Amino acid sequence: MSDKEIVQKLKTEFSRDPELSKLQLNVSCEDGTVHLEGEAERWEQVVALGRLAAGVAGVRGVVNRVWPKSLPRPKKKRKIKEKASWDGMKVDVVIVGAGIVGASIARELSRFDLEVVVVEKEADVAWGQSKANPGWVHGFAGVDVDPKSLKAKLCVRGNAMYDKLAQELDFPFKRTGLLAIVTEEDLLPMLDFVEDLAKQHGVPVEIIRDREEVFRLEPRITEKALAALFFPTYGSTSPYLAAIALAENAVMNGVKLLLDTEVTDVIVKDSQIKEAVTDRGTILTKFLVNAAGLYSDEIAEMAGAREFTIHPRRGEMVIFDSKFSSLYSHNLAPATLKSDPYTKGGGIALSIDGNSIWGPNAEEVPYKKATGTTKRGIEIVWEKFSQFVPNIPKEAMITAFAGLRAATYTEDFHIAPSRKVKGLINVAGIQSPGTASAPAIAEMVLEILRKEGLHLEEKPDFNPMRKAPPSFHALTNKERERLIAEDPKYGHVVCRCEHVTEVEIIEAIRRGATTMDGIKFRTRAGMGRCQGGFCTPHVIKILAKELQIPIEHVTKRGRGTELLPYEMKQLLLRGGQVG
Amino acid sequence: MVKREIDIAVIGGGAAGLAAAIKAKEKGIENIVILERNEELGGILPQCIHTGFGLRYFKENLTGPEYISRFIKKVEDLRIESKLDTMVLEITPDKKIIAVNSVDGLLELRAKAIVLAMGCRERTRGALGIAGTRPAGILTAGTAQRLMDIEGYMPGAKVVILGSGDVGLIMARRFVMEGAKVEAVVEILPYASGLSRNVVQCLEDFNIPLLLEHTVTSIHGTDRVEAVTVAKVDANWRPIQETERTIECDTLILSVGLIPENELSQTAGIVLDPATGGPVANELMETSVQGIFSCGNAVHVYDLVDYVTQAGELAGESAARHVLNELPSLRKKIALKAGDNVKSVVPQIISGEEPVALHLRVKKPMRNVKVKMGNLSIPKRVVRPPEMVVINLTEKALEKLEKRDELEISIEEETEP
Repeated sequence: MSDKEIVQKLKTEFSRDPELSKLQLNVSCEDGTVHLEGEAERWEQVVALGRLAAGVAGVRGVVNRVWPKSLPRPKKKRKIKEKASWDGMKVDVVIVGAGIVGASIARELSRFDLEVVVVEKEADVAWGQSKANPGWVHGFAGVDVDPKSLKAKLCVRGNAMYDKLAQELDFPFKRTGLLAIVTEEDLLPMLDFVEDLAKQHGVPVEIIRDREEVFRLEPRITEKALAALFFPTYGSTSPYLAAIALAENAVMNGVKLLLDTEVTDVIVKDSQIKEAVTDRGTILTKFLVNAAGLYSDEIAEMAGAREFTIHPRRGEMVIFDSKFSSLYSHNLAPATLKSDPYTKGGGIALSIDGNSIWGPNAEEVPYKKATGTTKRGIEIVWEKFSQFVPNIPKEAMITAFAGLRAATYTEDFHIAPSRKVKGLINVAGIQSPGTASAPAIAEMVLEILRKEGLHLEEKPDFNPMRKAPPSFHALTNKERERLIAEDPKYGHVVCRCEHVTEVEIIEAIRRGATTMDGIKFRTRAGMGRCQGGFCTPHVIKILAKELQIPIEHVTKRGRGTELLPYEMKQLLLRGGQVG
Repeated sequence: MVKREIDIAVIGGGAAGLAAAIKAKEKGIENIVILERNEELGGILPQCIHTGFGLRYFKENLTGPEYISRFIKKVEDLRIESKLDTMVLEITPDKKIIAVNSVDGLLELRAKAIVLAMGCRERTRGALGIAGTRPAGILTAGTAQRLMDIEGYMPGAKVVILGSGDVGLIMARRFVMEGAKVEAVVEILPYASGLSRNVVQCLEDFNIPLLLEHTVTSIHGTDRVEAVTVAKVDANWRPIQETERTIECDTLILSVGLIPENELSQTAGIVLDPATGGPVANELMETSVQGIFSCGNAVHVYDLVDYVTQAGELAGESAARHVLNELPSLRKKIALKAGDNVKSVVPQIISGEEPVALHLRVKKPMRNVKVKMGNLSIPKRVVRPPEMVVINLTEKALEKLEKRDELEISIEEETEP
């Protein structure tokens, strides 16, 4: 369909809808990319418009700038101009975003003789979606996903790459498999059809029709189980430890990682990327890989080449005590006919640390910082999954958290060079199954860069191996003794609940952690029963000492999250006035 | 690995552990080691710089550091060995202790008796399930106390405190005294969870509002806490939506309960009481594992340190008698069960032959009651959940008591004769 026909078709679609027809909208289409502008009444309408547009044949992308009248626009964070420490740096490739995708691309590029820099606005690696998910390494993208879609292909390919990757980079990965439990009679005659679909995706599946066999695999599963689908290639990882491992290996091989550095503008001249402007200086480059997750549409916009809009879809998850979680030995999910096309439906994940993580649910939200949990969301997750695992009581709930999926309206991954600006490679719309797909995405981006004219010459000294720092709690007493002999600080346990030692915390700082959350995600200090109640004062002191900063500058997770903003008596000296 | 045989290992160098070690030494035990995970002895008391300690034990009004320094000095005078910055990783049922520090490395201690005095930890946000974001500025009252009164830094300037436990009440006053504003103390119950004297001296004297039957329903702010939503709750503790309002603040302090620390008790296979979260103990403070004793807030959370000290002394004396082979096993065992309006009782097992002090926590406040225990009936003028109810079973009372294998303790309203 031509651009004109697409616009016509869309206008007709909108006019048929009793609500959407009332909105004043500006609809245009350029080279298959639909642009929507105007005002809506509610956020649901904004999402509905985008989805309608994406559904029209021939539409490649949807840029949806419609905003509800009643909602305040997202607040732009007050920019603190930092020392321009990177000003004038000249590189071959700038990667924006150090999530698992950006880190995977960085590590792939570090094989070649190139100057590569990763720019990350957060104070540590993997603090967007990569941190806020249950840690599945999906076997495939789901039965309701088109097997020819990009995410379907990259998921299966990426999943297969995990064993080697985890072995080279020493991050946790287990192929636990997924058991999808059938509880609905109606689904039984359709199992052959599901098997067929799975074959089209290229994912192995085993149909278990014998109910007894299901209970043999998971003895404490719901009595309602009738059959199951077993997907052996599903795995579990720690997505943030995987991203940290990838980033560390990239840095070992010469990539520069600029944390706490935000891209504020992208300079394009003669339709060619020239500069990435950051709050710490301007970096000269010909290639910019946009792996900015939730913000990838805004980065593309800076380059004047927006081809998609990211609409955040929140997922809330609940973590359960490992004491109860260990009653189940697989990743579990309900197999169901009632499918929501915008989520795979979540499941009961068996995390790498032995906790059961339930969820996520799916809820469209207007703001990219809406990572708060809600009572309702937690309740929805509990209601949905508790029936499948009757032996996990509500009291075993440790905590809840939420993440935002960086979804485009077309819902597939958007991995392509910009059609407008040379040198801009968009790696956007990476939502679930992004963790599983990341290694294959990196491979694909490499090929795109090669085609776009980046000269790739392999480095003879590339080292694919990276060692994780030892973690005291996982070691035998013999190994512990050996470490303490090397460094007595291995004998000083700082986090009592998770048995994290002083050396592990110092090592995390040496490897790039600069904040409390950075230490927590890298070492588990503060993740246990007391949630940092005892170790917080100690970790703050270690951070201040190692980073050589005053205590007042130690943060939870970067600028603006200072933990101890005042010295004692400082408020009194100001007469109690806070300012 | 350093391997040592010792008489008594005391796990934890706070009020309970120090009292136990001192008592055991005074009973003639030489080879005692205190294992303390912190960098100094004293447990939580060095950071409790307010007064109110020792009124019963010393008949003096002391600060936390003053109170505990008397015991630390005694430990030094008696030359009791203590290992600081030492984390116990595991205790086995046959009383082998694996610990670690940076001086000895890994340690294996084989003890004839063990006294568990690990104290307690604070309940966290996750356990409450408060919805919302995770900004900087949310911390438990005890952590805030340590940061302010030991480290010397303020976590914030505009504070809401959730929960009216004693540490929360004390910290409300500390924040105000240090120039911060305390917007409110929010308590879900219809009465404060802390001692009455703390409500008066820490809130009323400083004009800090106490919002009873209220709770925090949501936390706001991406980087730093910006506000919390509070709401009144109904009889089932459910927030009433129409009563929701927002209070601007930069800090949320949680004082929502203390949990006895018993991960090590579990590795030793000790039976725990679900009502207290601590080991089931008999009147000698012996746990279900022979030769392992427990005392202080690890057994159940006390209201006054004076009782913690007494429990420590009893556990220390019992451990010493165990080492000296002088500790009789109870000839009779009467299991005490919590009945009406009794949340928990310690010890859980008595012989009925020796005088003993029972420590009870009640579920709700009541006036003019009698504590019923089998055929015994002890009148009390008032019982309140924050305050431990102490029942002294004297020889005389025990003579009267009809001894059965199991006795229920309940609190009933006094009916006029």
